Amino acid sequence: MTTSPHPVLTVSALEKRFYLHAIDREVDALRGIDLTIRPGEHVALVGASGAGKSTLLKCIWRSYVPSAGHVLLRRPDSSVVDLASASEQVMIDVRQRDLGYVSQFLRPEQRRSVLDVVQRAARRRGVSDGDALDEASAALTRVGLERKLWATSPVVLSGGEQQRVNLAAGTLAPPGLLLLDEPIAALDAQNRESVLGLIAELVDSGTAVLSVFHDLGAVRALATRVVVLDGGSIVAEGDPAVIVPSELAS
Amino acid sequence: MDEWTLRAEGLTKHFGPVVGCDDVSFDVAAGEALGIIGESGSGKSTVLRCLAGDIAPTLGAARLRRRAETVSLFELDASQRRALRVETVSVVYQDPAEGLDLRISAGGNIAERLTAAGWRHFGRIRARARELLERVEVPLDRMDDPVVTFSGGMRQRVQLAKAIANNPLLLLLDEPTTGLDASVASGVLDLIRSLLEELDVASVVVSHDMGVISMLTARVAVMHRGRVVERGLTDQLFEDPQDAYSQKLVAAARG
Repeated sequence: MTTSPHPVLTVSALEKRFYLHAIDREVDALRGIDLTIRPGEHVALVGASGAGKSTLLKCIWRSYVPSAGHVLLRRPDSSVVDLASASEQVMIDVRQRDLGYVSQFLRPEQRRSVLDVVQRAARRRGVSDGDALDEASAALTRVGLERKLWATSPVVLSGGEQQRVNLAAGTLAPPGLLLLDEPIAALDAQNRESVLGLIAELVDSGTAVLSVFHDLGAVRALATRVVVLDGGSIVAEGDPAVIVPSELAS
Repeated sequence: MDEWTLRAEGLTKHFGPVVGCDDVSFDVAAGEALGIIGESGSGKSTVLRCLAGDIAPTLGAARLRRRAETVSLFELDASQRRALRVETVSVVYQDPAEGLDLRISAGGNIAERLTAAGWRHFGRIRARARELLERVEVPLDRMDDPVVTFSGGMRQRVQLAKAIANNPLLLLLDEPTTGLDASVASGVLDLIRSLLEELDVASVVVSHDMGVISMLTARVAVMHRGRVVERGLTDQLFEDPQDAYSQKLVAAARG
């Protein structure tokens, strides 16, 4: 595990408001979020639905536009980019190389084979053409997706299988920061365990993870720190064993 | 980003008192596709036709850059513009009749573009046409049939083959799948996606269809009444549209 002193992500005073023009209404989603994550840390967001957990991940991924504040990402060359204000071209580059996002709501690209989807992700992360096939095969094997499905399009796969394609693509040649939004929601018990094992390994080897798990058992088992959101604000932060009582995590 | 291939600045077109497009600016780099989305009449096709040289803008500039060499698109005379359209800028129109001569064969349409670029050797022209038709998955036994005998999807494939024949720097796509049956459209869309990926061309894709824009582009500009009202990452536009019109557009597409 790395002991880099520099945070990979520093969120400060982040605000998110949605303005709905049709009904002339503003909705507050995040207020004054401050959060720091270092390499090898796994920070789990917990809180009631509507607390702002997924919204925070999307503000970092920039599928939501932050309303105010900063989202500083440290890249492997030690440059720092503010994702809250980065140009679209810079965001596209950051997404391809340095940031991973796996969400239960994200469908893999359609009308490409599973293997093609994952190989492309490998090449975008800088894996050479020659190694991309091996890396992709290894990643698909790791998430337990049967080889006979690799040539099919994700469109014919079950929700859990699609989820595993996303996980394979999101975690191979791991980016510095991985955003996980309910990554095990559609998985059966056996696949759930192997995916949790994979996430733990990534964190051990230095990837920073910011996650949302409905399953508090997973939070307790994997997170190095828990951040509690309520009404769009951070209300508590600390050791998973303290914050998530074991009776809730069973 | 300073790696643009196409830079449009303040592009404005008035048709008499009617505003076609107004003060539209953007950059596009090699290997990327910019989407322009909006309803019909929003001015998106006007922008594309100005860039293609089909109509002259009222105001504004557009520059095309290859390494150290920069060309100002709106300062060319007619013959320079024709030369540019042969080798450097290609357009794929919604209606294949605009990009092809339907009375002549698929191979002949491609040969015309090649000979305009200086190809002279008959055998080489045939071989290149065959290679291109194979790439766009038009059966080679139809190569010598007039395009008018082709289905809509096949015509669009021939138009694509002709458009990429001379490896253009800039590829402009105007509603390239609109009007095709859904299953045919998705095949053509797959083809365009793979061509964009392998060609390292700068591309502008104009469409009213969010499915087309989200499949082909990572960045998008929303046009409304001639102006760009919002620009952003394509997934961001769909998940968190900012402008009043964009919000309406996305809500309508979601049904």
